[in-house]
Amino acid sequence: MALGDLVQYVVTGLLVGGVYALMSIGLALIFGVMRVVNFAQGDFMMLGMYVTYFLTTAYGIDPLLGAVLIVPPFFLVGVAVHRVLLARVTGGGDPQRLMDTQLILTLGLSLIITNGATMLLTPMPRGIKTSYATQAFVVGPILMNEARSYAFLMALLLAGVVYVFLTRTDLGKALRAAADEPEAAGYQGIDVRAMHGLAFGVGIALVAAAGGLLATYHPIEPTVAVNFIVLMFVAVVLGGLGSIPGAFAGGLVIGVVQSLTLLVLPFQLQNVGVFIAFLLVLYLRPQGLFGQRLRTV
Amino acid sequence: MLKLSEVSVAYGGLQAVASVSLDVAEGEFVTIVGPNGAGKTTLLKAVGGGVPLQAGRVEYRGRDISGLPAHARARLGVAHVPEGRKVFPSLSVLENLEMGSYRAEARSRRGEGLDTVFGLFPVLRERRQQLAGSLSGGEQQMLAIGRGIMALPDLLLLDEPSQGLGPRIVEGIFEAIAAIRRSRPITILLVEQRVVEALELCDRGYVLETGRVALSGDRQTLLADPRVQHAYLGA
Ligand SMILES: Nc1ncnc2c1ncn2[C@@H]1O[C@H](COP(=O)(O)OP(=O)(O)OP(=O)(O)O)[C@@H](O)[C@H]1O
Ligand SMILES: [Mg+2]
Repeated sequence: MALGDLVQYVVTGLLVGGVYALMSIGLALIFGVMRVVNFAQGDFMMLGMYVTYFLTTAYGIDPLLGAVLIVPPFFLVGVAVHRVLLARVTGGGDPQRLMDTQLILTLGLSLIITNGATMLLTPMPRGIKTSYATQAFVVGPILMNEARSYAFLMALLLAGVVYVFLTRTDLGKALRAAADEPEAAGYQGIDVRAMHGLAFGVGIALVAAAGGLLATYHPIEPTVAVNFIVLMFVAVVLGGLGSIPGAFAGGLVIGVVQSLTLLVLPFQLQNVGVFIAFLLVLYLRPQGLFGQRLRTV
Repeated sequence: MLKLSEVSVAYGGLQAVASVSLDVAEGEFVTIVGPNGAGKTTLLKAVGGGVPLQAGRVEYRGRDISGLPAHARARLGVAHVPEGRKVFPSLSVLENLEMGSYRAEARSRRGEGLDTVFGLFPVLRERRQQLAGSLSGGEQQMLAIGRGIMALPDLLLLDEPSQGLGPRIVEGIFEAIAAIRRSRPITILLVEQRVVEALELCDRGYVLETGRVALSGDRQTLLADPRVQHAYLGA
């Protein structure tokens, strides 16, 4: 195999990996702050794809813009879901029982959304047609699909905004403080429950936006979540549970591994490489590729 | 300033604090001492909002705060420096201090708070960009106290600031506590196992045993009490 091929596969992998990274930091944020494993994360991604799709077909809004426009409404949806459902099963009480109820709750939510979407939207796959979906930038010998390149850049931009929010604003720092030491955060005047709502809202908004970006080049169907939720979980574990920069890097790594797998395995098996890499990392570095002694957000 | 009336706290079936009443006047420095498991931390958490009361009442400035969550009490000017420091390990030293001044009254005067803290603990200035989780135990304790001071609190709750630290560091910590008190009007409620140092620093004290007040009085009375001398001062 030529070196050029290898570079091509790595670049393609990085481009899709950017979108994986964006969806994974949403999951990592929710886990880091709330210690809740949100199995419905992929379903909110699916909803983000559909809403972006309808914005495009009904109003002619470019999906790259649509993916950003849906951030505020999905944030509110996340805050509402937290308040109505998750707030009942977080904080106070026997941790093991809470874990069980959270698991059942988010799994149930996932089933309801998937099946609700199948009923309302039909299982028929849909796709967004854009002028750039079938175009490619040519950089020397490397081809970069335009849709994936734009999606990658938007994902990077949104992740950058989250990074600035978490590291430069009092509210973002309070979110990280609440993740680190909830009890001590309360003693500083930080409303930990409100931070949970904020984390869930931001986490849902990010994964929905990632869905919108994905929709520029990936078919949209009610069950699309299953292909991605696993990738998100792997990215978050690879990155060191709950770490935002780790999850971001984990997403990029997964994109590249998935892409390189295509060099040796057929398309249907592209996630096999991801799982092999995952098991290897867990075996060699159980704290994750980027996990530290310190739990970080 | 602070008044506890027959406060009881239980964990499951275990009675950690049983009908404790105590009060702290404005500007006073009160110490609670007692053996391991006496319920000192639990009692302080009952003031800070870290545990729900089983019975009784906590009043702060004449207002019943028993039902308020911890963050609401913090916003009223109660700063709790918890047992075991509980700094935010993945935040830098500076970010930890910024979180200390999260409440609105302190946020607008952050610079003032930082000057005070760096004046008391110069090492924190040097380490301000370092992650709090990578500080030594003594430095983490300084940071935890500094974070409390950043709130510009009216009532400062300190839970065993000497825990696990060497004698030299402990001395420094106690000196800093005395200095805080000199620098601004503040009310302090300190929980300690270092009975001598704590009693010498305070105006008044309570001895807590198995969840109840066994003894109370001003500094001289407690230091001279034969039971205190026997149990804690090795006399
Ligand atoms: N979260 C908890 N769950 C169950 N029991 C607890 C909990 N926290 C404290 N206890 C129990 O309550 C009692 C009082 O504990 P507390 O921590 O208040 O004592 P303390 O006086 O602060 O002790 P130390 O000097 O060792 O810090 C102990 O018997 C302890 O085991
Ligand atoms: Mg204690």
